[in-house]
Parts: sequence; structure tokens; C-alpha cells
Amino acid sequence: MRSLFQKLQDALGPARSSKDDAKQRLKFLLIHDQVELTPAQLDKMKEEILEVIGRYVQVDDDEQVEFKLNREEGGISLVSSVPVRKVHGARA
Amino acid sequence: MAECIVVTSGKGGVGKTTTSANLATGLALAGNKVAVVDADIGLRNLDVILGLENRIVYDLVQVIEGECKLRQALIRDKRVEGLYLLPAAQTRDKTAVRPEDMRRLVKDLKDDGFDYIIIDCPAGIENGFKNSIAGADRAIIVTTPEVSAIRDADRIIGLVEAHELPEPELIINRYRKHLVARGDMMNKDDVLEILAIKLLGIVPDHQDIITSANRGLPIVFDEKSTVGQAYRRIVDRTMGIEVAFPNFEQDPGLWATMKRWMGIGPAREAV
Repeated sequence: MRSLFQKLQDALGPARSSKDDAKQRLKFLLIHDQVELTPAQLDKMKEEILEVIGRYVQVDDDEQVEFKLNREEGGISLVSSVPVRKVHGARA
Repeated sequence: MAECIVVTSGKGGVGKTTTSANLATGLALAGNKVAVVDADIGLRNLDVILGLENRIVYDLVQVIEGECKLRQALIRDKRVEGLYLLPAAQTRDKTAVRPEDMRRLVKDLKDDGFDYIIIDCPAGIENGFKNSIAGADRAIIVTTPEVSAIRDADRIIGLVEAHELPEPELIINRYRKHLVARGDMMNKDDVLEILAIKLLGIVPDHQDIITSANRGLPIVFDEKSTVGQAYRRIVDRTMGIEVAFPNFEQDPGLWATMKRWMGIGPAREAV
């Protein structure tokens, strides 16, 4: 038997409901299904792109770099945000 | 004008056959002449859901191979005027039928005066699926509010749209409003946000589905059953009649409402 406390806890619900987990996993899945790109490949692409960007500008903080696949009407877009500190070797 | 509708899902076990049986029966109850075709060659099921398994003489493959006439293979349902089943072959495999065979079959059925031809598509995206959508004018996608079923539905929607069936419609099956109310099942809006297609109806999860399958009597016959009523609304919407989505398809449960009053539940959520 579940205790009264457990029942109450169930009734109040966890901080995050399981359907939100389902929805988030699903969105992630569908994007990767559609672009046929695994999360590991996405990471590798991110590394390579950062390497190229690093040749021209100095990336401010690796932790702040964002690489996201967004699903929108008409297709998928790759959105990235890369904070930059200073430009070196800028064209004259 | 005659219309051929394919009922598909990608994933197996989400209720395609039950949906096909109830949609076809409901359309016949509404006065249409309906042929429902079991396209799941080798895994015949629709006959059992309709309770017509003892009356099968010929099947779809025999019609296509010219072993019998189309009219000989169509089984007339004696319980409702205008409903006919074309059963799948049980002993053959999916390679026995080609898309052009299905296109011809659908055309022959339309020429025979059928108002609606419902194709019960097999699970998967292989031959059986390609055959099923070949002659279709319209597609209904069945899903349940689960990650795996919705993932497959998304894939199928893409394939259906690629086959020049531009506006697939969605049935959300096995909807459990109590789970939805406490946030343990994706609600209608969650599913629609992800799949972004037109909603044709929501079918609650209910024991009536099991008892009706036991008896071989589609639940749409039962006007008192909430599931039967849900299918009747789907039938109406299929015929182009606008029907409002009733309370169980929209309102949160009593408990969720109480929790909101007390300020301890999630913020207002459309259920």
C-alpha cells in the first residue's frame, strides 16, 4: 500500500511531468530523424566549425557556444551562437 | 464523388484496423456505400474485427490475379446496409500485389458505385504501405500519445505528402484523459504542435474497444459508448460535417481543476 504521503506526492505531481519529458525527447528525435544526423555527428560538426571560426576570431567562452537544430515550417535550420572576444588577423 | 481513404500509422498496434473497421461501418451507417479493403497481405485481421471471418471465400490477391470477380470476393455485412469487406490473403506475402494493381482495384470499386473505399494499411513503410497509398485520394494517420508512435507518424506524414496526398488528417487514439490531466500523457495540443496536421478526432482508451473486438462488432454501432460516439464524430468530420470537439477532448479532469484552484497544480493546460 502506498502511504498517505506518497499518495499526496503523486497528486501534487513531480516538479516536471513525464509528458514534458516525452515531448522534449520527441522533438529532439524528430529533428535528428529528419536531418539524418546523430547527436555525435552534430558534436563533431560543431568542433570542426569552431576550429574554422577559431582561425579568424577568438571564441570567447566555449561553454557559451550554442549549436541547435530547430524545426520550423519549411524545414530544419541550424542555429548557432558563438561569442567572440577579439578579431585577430582582420583584413586591412 | 467517390473517395478512397487510406488509414495508416507507420507503427503497428496503434489501432489502424480498429479505426478502419469503425470508420467504414460508421460511413455505411450514415447511408454510404462503403468498401473496406484489408491491405495487410499475409496478416489478415480486419475480417475478425468486423466479425466476418467465417464468410470469406475469396481474397484481394485472387481478385488481382483474376481468379475471381471483384464482386465475388466482396463480403456484404448483413448488419448494416452498404458495407462490404475485401479481405486480405492469409497465405501470400506482400509481393503478390503491386501499386498499379491497387490503383486499378480502387478504380473498379469506384466504377461499381462505392462512395467510400477505406484501405486498412499494414504497419511499416515497405511494399504494403506503398500499395495502400497508391490508389488513395486522402490519408488518415492514426497515432497514440506516445513518443514511439508519434515519431513513426511524423515519418509517415512525410511519406504521404511526398505521394501527392497533401493534407493528411490525424486521429489520436487511446487517449487517457486522467493521465493527460496529471501531466503523464501528451495532450491533444502537444501532439498537434509536433505533427502539425489537421485533427480529425480523438478516441478515448476504453474497455469497450476490447469487448467489441471480442464480439466482432465495431463499437460505432453502440450509440451509448463514449468510444462509439467518438467514432461517429470522426465519421461526420470525414464526410465534411463540422462537429465540435466535446468536453472529454478538451476539459481537464476534476482533480486537475481542483489542484488549480488550490494553486498546487500545473498552470492551466488544455487537455
